Amino acid sequence: MSTGALLDQDLGSGSEDDNFNPAPAVESDNEGAGDSDPDAKPSTKSGTDRRRSRQSDPDDVKEEDDEGHKDSASVLDGSKPFRGPGLNDEDEAENLNGAGADDEDEDEEDQEEDDDEEDVVSGRPRKRTRRDPRNQYLDVEAEVDEEEDEGDEEDEEGNAEGFIADTHPDDVADLPDGAETDDRRHRELDRQRERLQQLDAEKEAERLRNLYGRSRTTTARDTVTVPKRLLLPSVNDPSIWGVKCKPGKEREVVFSVVRRAEERAQTKNPLPIFSAFERGNSIPGFVYVEARRQADVTAALDGLSNVYPRGDKTVLIPIKEMPDLFRVNKTEQLAIGAYVRIKRGKYVGDLAMIDDVEENGLGVTLRIVPRLDYGQNEDTNAPMIDGGIKGEVQKRKRHAAYGSTNPALRPPQRLFSDAEAKKKHSKHLQSLSTFDKKHWQYMGDQFVNGFLIKDFKLQALITENVNPTLEEVTRFTSGAEDGTENLDLTALATSLKTGTAKDSYLPGDMVEVFEGEQQGVCGKAVSVQGDIVTLSVTQGDLRGQTIDVPSKGLRKRFKEGDHVKVIGGSRFRDEVGMVVQIKKDQVTILSDLSMQEITVFSKDLREASDSGIAGGLGMYDIHDLVQLDPATVGCITKVDRESLRVLDQNGSVRSVVPSQISNRIERRRNAVATDRNGSEIRSDDTVREIGGEQKQGVILHIYRSYLFLHNREQTENSGISVVRATNVATVAAKGGRVAQASSGPDLNKMNPALQRNGVNGNNTMPPPKSFGRDRALGQTVTIRKGAYKGLLGIVKDTTDTEARVELHTKAKTITVGKDTLGFKDPLTGQSIDYQRFSGSRGRGDGGRGASGGATPARDPAWSSNRTPMGIPQGGRTPAWGASARTPAWSGGAGSSARTPAWQQSAMSGGRTPAWGAADGGRTVNPYTDGSRTAYGGGAMGSRTPAWNPAGAGHHDPFSGGRTPGYESSRTPAYSQTPAGSGYGDNWSSSNGTHSSNRAYDAPTPGKDVYAAPTPNGGYASTPAAAASTPKPGYAADAPTPYSGQPETPAADDGPGYDELSD
Amino acid sequence: MSFVPGSQQRHLRACMVCSIVQVQQRFIREGCPNCETFLGLQNHPEDVQQCTSQVFEGLITLADPSSSWVARWQRLDGYVPGVYAVKVVGQLPEETVQSIEDAGGRYIPRDGTVHDDDA
Repeated sequence: MSTGALLDQDLGSGSEDDNFNPAPAVESDNEGAGDSDPDAKPSTKSGTDRRRSRQSDPDDVKEEDDEGHKDSASVLDGSKPFRGPGLNDEDEAENLNGAGADDEDEDEEDQEEDDDEEDVVSGRPRKRTRRDPRNQYLDVEAEVDEEEDEGDEEDEEGNAEGFIADTHPDDVADLPDGAETDDRRHRELDRQRERLQQLDAEKEAERLRNLYGRSRTTTARDTVTVPKRLLLPSVNDPSIWGVKCKPGKEREVVFSVVRRAEERAQTKNPLPIFSAFERGNSIPGFVYVEARRQADVTAALDGLSNVYPRGDKTVLIPIKEMPDLFRVNKTEQLAIGAYVRIKRGKYVGDLAMIDDVEENGLGVTLRIVPRLDYGQNEDTNAPMIDGGIKGEVQKRKRHAAYGSTNPALRPPQRLFSDAEAKKKHSKHLQSLSTFDKKHWQYMGDQFVNGFLIKDFKLQALITENVNPTLEEVTRFTSGAEDGTENLDLTALATSLKTGTAKDSYLPGDMVEVFEGEQQGVCGKAVSVQGDIVTLSVTQGDLRGQTIDVPSKGLRKRFKEGDHVKVIGGSRFRDEVGMVVQIKKDQVTILSDLSMQEITVFSKDLREASDSGIAGGLGMYDIHDLVQLDPATVGCITKVDRESLRVLDQNGSVRSVVPSQISNRIERRRNAVATDRNGSEIRSDDTVREIGGEQKQGVILHIYRSYLFLHNREQTENSGISVVRATNVATVAAKGGRVAQASSGPDLNKMNPALQRNGVNGNNTMPPPKSFGRDRALGQTVTIRKGAYKGLLGIVKDTTDTEARVELHTKAKTITVGKDTLGFKDPLTGQSIDYQRFSGSRGRGDGGRGASGGATPARDPAWSSNRTPMGIPQGGRTPAWGASARTPAWSGGAGSSARTPAWQQSAMSGGRTPAWGAADGGRTVNPYTDGSRTAYGGGAMGSRTPAWNPAGAGHHDPFSGGRTPGYESSRTPAYSQTPAGSGYGDNWSSSNGTHSSNRAYDAPTPGKDVYAAPTPNGGYASTPAAAASTPKPGYAADAPTPYSGQPETPAADDGPGYDELSD
Repeated sequence: MSFVPGSQQRHLRACMVCSIVQVQQRFIREGCPNCETFLGLQNHPEDVQQCTSQVFEGLITLADPSSSWVARWQRLDGYVPGVYAVKVVGQLPEETVQSIEDAGGRYIPRDGTVHDDDA
């Protein structure tokens, strides 16, 4: 504190000096002001102002000593007996120090002083502030006492000088030149005496100060020397909690915490946390808070945006893991020659090569392939304001604007051309070198050898994962002096090494250590784990031993003459050749394929086990489809010894080497295109080009809209040609797929509304599917349409829609649509179409059954085997006919032939009874033929009679058996209301009043009907139950649909029926 | 105080010695609160450029440097409360390093190059 007081006193002199140097007034610091005085004075007087070097306290103080002397010395014009001749501060300082322990410091200091003396002009303010920090600490430092003395001394000097300067100007003016000097010498003598007296004290003080000064600073940085392992956290330390936050907002959160902490700092409840931190770069999405309790963490973060302390995501970091949170990975040192990418601006994304790195590693000079338009896009008519200066600015602005905002418009990368620049911008062009034409300044940028040389800050660059492509890298090498594309492999290696280091070594590789202690050791890799290669040494002293070496210190070892294959990331990948020269880790091989010499890294080579022209050629075969570049594919037409001939999609033929092929495109069997008629075409279809050359061929590949065709009769390109899909028409589709040339693609399949498979379905029900063997097979048919109209044939084979018909007339089998066939109705012998033919199936059975004699041979078979089946079949028939299919069919298809057909048959009366007969008849079949006969009789009449025999009871013995069968098969359809109504509708279906609801209800009874066989199986045991169940339903439901119909009596017959079964 | 609004955050710099994070203007105006004795950044923009770095990672706000383990581990105890960085990329000029050593301190780079007695 005494210092402060003393220095305050000094202010007096300072204030005197204010006239001379207003600057000190700015200094709010008393001490600073006091301090500045001595400096200010000499500067005003003699201009010997010198800067102080950047020094820590003790040195600073010491230096100040020197400076104090020096000031005076300079004032005294160097006549200092004690200090020796000249301004050799060093000597003096050492004298003063005596101990000599600080030699280095002194040297350093002197160097800096020397430096400082060089820049006299800028030095002064710097010096002043230099001292401020020290003085901040003066009050607490004992060392200051010493300095204070000196300060005093200096101030005395200053005052003395000030006297000369301030109080004696007149005298000075009066006096002759020597007078002032004399005066100074007197004073200097006095001072020397004084100093001599002080010498011992000074020495002592210096020693003390050194000791003290040191101890002071070391107390401040005591922890620096404490090893980290002693700093490991313990249970007594606060805990750390990790709290989820929005990724990318970690810094914001930390600053929010800062703000909150500062807001609350002076309040009653300061934030109860010790620290908060984030590691957004390595651990995104988390902030960490150091506190004693979790509640404190919540309190600290609650309500802040982007951080979520409330959730259960807040985790306590285990003590062991706490140090890991602060693990710092070394940033890759930027090396000259390495590659980086530019983050923003005109050259965003461009690769750049490092030309120079600033000392602090934060700035680099880059070599960039320029993007210049040389004013081509400038608006030459733009108004030039103020003699072009403003216009210039405008131009620049616009230039920058479009360069940065629209990368699509920026000029392509091209080396700088002075000729180009001269065309429009000769005034902006300036040659910087006289002897060659390689160094230019253009529009404020420097260009060397065609490259732009520019300084960038580290944060404007992408330094990691640069992944330069060879294409980019070659741009930097294409400007080589001899014009050759000679890659600087070493530079490239620095950028690529890390990327390809992995798995470039395999067990069995011969390797050589070229770095580290084991340098020169050769061996065979035994195992590779990550970056560590274990090798067994094959040569030298260590022979037979196994050592582990990091892969970065390894290179593969080859001998000249080895046959090797390029494996790594070079563009010569997959080339095979013979080693002709080895230079360090660069190996020159003579390619087997191109007979050219190529140079690659040894790490990218591997002993080639496959001999000859294995290369990439083995991978490709004729007719393969290969990718040439992202937009081009081609079909291989020829495989030469070392190259391939490829017909690309544009029809041009080129010769490529395997390394130019990026990959082979697998043939996609299910690729589909549409021809010009809209029908789909697939691989292996035969198509013909319409127009053009009328090329025809089998489709080999379909690539987008291009078809690669193969035609054996064509000689050129080995029969391969390329056409557009829209120019071809199908000649023959493979496998008899329907070429729906006229109808086009099946739109129904594409209609999502129709695709929706009806849960509550409103969609149409498909026409009845016939399962199993197509009934058309083997039938004798007539062809009713087309070229073969009228001919007779036998159906040999069918698909869903088509039939292969063997004609009777010619020994020929033709394919025709089924709907063009005329079938012979087995009953009537009249010709019916396929739908009716196949659709009459169930009824046909019935009909056949009803006809009795028609197929007597079958009947026994039916009666014995198919009876149980017969019931479900019979059951299905009503379900199908009565409720579901027919109405659905008619409803959906509108004017389908089915409903009328059905109706027709229904009206004819034959059908329904036949149907009834099918049920009943077959059911009772095992019992008697008579029943069938009866049914047959019924079949001829109306329904009612069919019922009557059943209900009349004159088949008493069978009633038990037949009734359940009858019921089980048919009753469900009857008993269920919708079925009943559906049934009713069926009869009135000519009205077309079906609701789809009814149609859809139909399957239910159908299902029930299918379930029927079960009761049928046990019909004998529970006839009454079976009979009674349908009774009410039948009684209740039947009348409604049948009212007014002849069936009504049948409803009346119900009771009788009941009675019977009861 | 140490709070820096978002708009100013791009001007943040970290002292390469003590890793304190401040905006550049504050470094120039007030210097580094911990290292001013030997760095002397106040009113020396060029020194601020040299001794502080814009490239840093991992912000720590330190409320209580004396009792915080984080501060101890990061060797920040004894420093003023404020915002610090975990990692500061950049290299101090040789002479500055020298002057720190002269001041009795040991300069530990905070750019991840030093992994001494880490475990």
